[in-house]
Amino acid sequence: MMTLINTFLADKGIYMLTLLLLSLGVAGVIVCNNYMKKLICMNVMQVAVIFFFLCLGQKSPGTIPVAMDTVVKASDYINPLPHGLMLTAIVVSLGTTGVGLSLLLRIREKYGTIEEDDMLRREELMTRVEKNGGKRD
Amino acid sequence: MRKTITIILLITAVFVPFIAFNVLPVIGDPSSAPNTHVSDHYIEHAIDECNSPNMVTAVIVDYRAFDTMFETTVMFLAGLSVIMILANRPKKKIFAPSSLKRFRESGHPIYKTVNKDVMISIIEPVILIYAIYVLFHGEVSLGGGFQAGALIGMTYLLDVMVVKREKPIFNLPKKRAAAIAGIGPFIYALTGFISIIGGGLYLEYNKFPFPIHQAELHSIGITAVEIGVTIGVAGTIITILNALMERISFDDDIN
Amino acid sequence: MTNLIGNTPVLIILLPLCSALLCLALTAVSKNLGSLVVKISCLGSLVLSVIQLCMVVSGGTIHYAIGNYAVPYGIEFVIDSLNAVLLVAFSLMGFLTVIFAGNFSDNKNHFKTAGAYAELALLITGILGMTSTGDVFNLYVFLEITSLSAYCLISLGGSRGVVSAYRYMLVGTIAATFYLLGIGILYATTGTLNMGDMSNILNEGGHDGAMLVAMCFLIPAFGIKMALFPFHGWQPSAYTHAEPGSRPLVTGVMGKVPALAMFRFFYCIYGTDFRFFRIALMLLGILSVIGMIYGSLMAMGQNDIRKILAYSSVAQIGYISLGFAIGTPIALAGSFLHMLGHAFMKGGLFFCTGAIRYKYGTVDINDFGRIYKKMPLTCGLLVIAALSMIGIPPTAGFFSKWYLALGAAGQHEWIYIAVLVLSSLLNAVYFFRLIEKVFIRQSSDLKTRWESEVLELPVTLIIPIVACFLAILGIGLFNVKIIDVLLMTLEGVGL
Repeated sequence: MMTLINTFLADKGIYMLTLLLLSLGVAGVIVCNNYMKKLICMNVMQVAVIFFFLCLGQKSPGTIPVAMDTVVKASDYINPLPHGLMLTAIVVSLGTTGVGLSLLLRIREKYGTIEEDDMLRREELMTRVEKNGGKRD
Repeated sequence: MRKTITIILLITAVFVPFIAFNVLPVIGDPSSAPNTHVSDHYIEHAIDECNSPNMVTAVIVDYRAFDTMFETTVMFLAGLSVIMILANRPKKKIFAPSSLKRFRESGHPIYKTVNKDVMISIIEPVILIYAIYVLFHGEVSLGGGFQAGALIGMTYLLDVMVVKREKPIFNLPKKRAAAIAGIGPFIYALTGFISIIGGGLYLEYNKFPFPIHQAELHSIGITAVEIGVTIGVAGTIITILNALMERISFDDDIN
Repeated sequence: MTNLIGNTPVLIILLPLCSALLCLALTAVSKNLGSLVVKISCLGSLVLSVIQLCMVVSGGTIHYAIGNYAVPYGIEFVIDSLNAVLLVAFSLMGFLTVIFAGNFSDNKNHFKTAGAYAELALLITGILGMTSTGDVFNLYVFLEITSLSAYCLISLGGSRGVVSAYRYMLVGTIAATFYLLGIGILYATTGTLNMGDMSNILNEGGHDGAMLVAMCFLIPAFGIKMALFPFHGWQPSAYTHAEPGSRPLVTGVMGKVPALAMFRFFYCIYGTDFRFFRIALMLLGILSVIGMIYGSLMAMGQNDIRKILAYSSVAQIGYISLGFAIGTPIALAGSFLHMLGHAFMKGGLFFCTGAIRYKYGTVDINDFGRIYKKMPLTCGLLVIAALSMIGIPPTAGFFSKWYLALGAAGQHEWIYIAVLVLSSLLNAVYFFRLIEKVFIRQSSDLKTRWESEVLELPVTLIIPIVACFLAILGIGLFNVKIIDVLLMTLEGVGL
């Protein structure tokens, strides 16, 4: 039994950790009330997928994919493709985070808060005041 | 209670299929599918096809150069989006309850403990030289356009931090920075057009209309592309920095 | 010159891309140069896509390998007849929107206008790229370009737009992450990212488990992006509060492209031999049936015309995915015909609301009393698009529903036909309410913001309206030809 668990952890353990990270991120985006926390959880989620891809690129006796010799053997170097792909994914997540932060700045300027329920309450208050003809009750 | 249930459901939903179907290859297995099918070709032919010992560089700016072009465009798009979103201000604010006060004054992001003479005259030139080294050395060893662009952006960040914002060393207003960030990816796209003029397909570095050896053509193509990426990334970082600096107040502790 | 013709697949995407990149720099040179270049480049890509359609119809599928690398190593564009037709429709819609958007820009701040044009051109780039790419990771990059520019364009529509853009960004990023995870699992199984190569390896058999797990991630991913029923939460507020100039493109086209990508994954990569294919189709069918009823019911309760149209989009996406769920070539063709038709119907309706808003500054349908006397052209499009939504011949909507029903009858799925009829009746209820407001209700006195003796609207608003009118009728009248072209590809992939 122990050896079974050991081989499982050695073979697939890291996938489980990244998946745990992913599900925590998704749960955070759904559950959190604060918009900033949602953004952070979104980042956690993206990082999890980046880890996942990098795990796919590992090769046990391989080294970093920069050729040392003129004659290159495929088994000596790790897979360069996931690293290239993840560079793109990192840049995309950077862009999304930047846009998200600037949107948050706008939300904060308008509503004075970034808590979701607080925001909804203020929105409701404002519609009621508009119906009353601008009077604040 | 609802939160706990959500989290437990999610975790089971993610884990069960993976354990049940045993879909993923063993870590580090040299004979798994992702490590054999296309990856072997990239590793073995990076030098003779792309003249680039760094295989990651060969993948991102030669084999899959089209992806990287749009990746640089995503950078530009993010910078543009940030300034477009922050270009407007809400006319009517939703009033806050009296318990929440707006902050009264904002300070400058000056770190007075940093010696600015040392920073400007010694550290910044070193960073810039290193950025250029990283840029032109990208295809031979580790490095590349993104890192170089980030280093140049960091120089600007240091500049803004040690000198008052009104007078940075090289002054780039956000509009001009955004225009520069757009020109970077355009250089990239133009590199592809040159190979079309030479009679090839898009981004086919072999077909550049220059009378040089084939391997050199790949080097020229990769370098041109990396320069474009550098300009794009540096421009975007400066754009986002400037746009956020205008709006964020430091010393926000009153709230 | 022949050289350029050989490169059409990539030039279609590069023209709007380059114009977007240069837009800000050109605006610094001269005030209106940037937006002019964007308009010209969109026209250019429209012309090129028409040329490409002719090439595909006469010469078969085009494979374009970027960088001239052999197929699984480089990125490949695959233009079959399906892509070619959709590219023409999407680039036409993009061109019309770019013309239309000029009326809603802030004339004082040229820089801001140029930025909005650049965002619009990048959105068009992303949409056209997603349509024509043949590489799963390249699809992800284009998906992100589309989404990022859409977040920005939605947030430009004021403070409510900012909040809905933020919510859309959160769910959109979850979708993108799930998509990346799905293709990660497929990559771990096959070791390739090219769609054709991946399909060949998967069809050798023995990968059913991995394919099922990947599908569990891909359905929510595309579902969120195309606003399929249980994942549509972001959509109504985002469509309602988007920036008025870009709204026709955001609402009309943006939801269709993920549907095309979903079709590619279901039918071109997985193939009909996949062991769990029928179960997946049934799930998709149930979701689309519920979506069709739910969207129509919600639309009946709204007063803001933008909200009505947004909820009706949930229902219309249901028609498209219903075609995928039926799965015969004729039903798939109906689905794609609806994709084409709905792009022009929904875009056209938003052109109309934009025009009414431009002239009178209102979006409440209770203010639309006898507006047809003042704006005959706009109301013509409003009526023809509404009739097409309901499905009355000879408009596009009737024929797409007809082919869907034919496909469902061929598979003996009578429930689908019943829901199709029921949903059309519900559509009729709320669109006739709109038509009643426009024609019969007592006129209310609205102040015009724009006066002219000859024309009811500026020319740049009239061109899109007339073009949409002709497109809806044209798709309806020439449906047999379009279906023939679509079936060139679909014959090989359906059930």
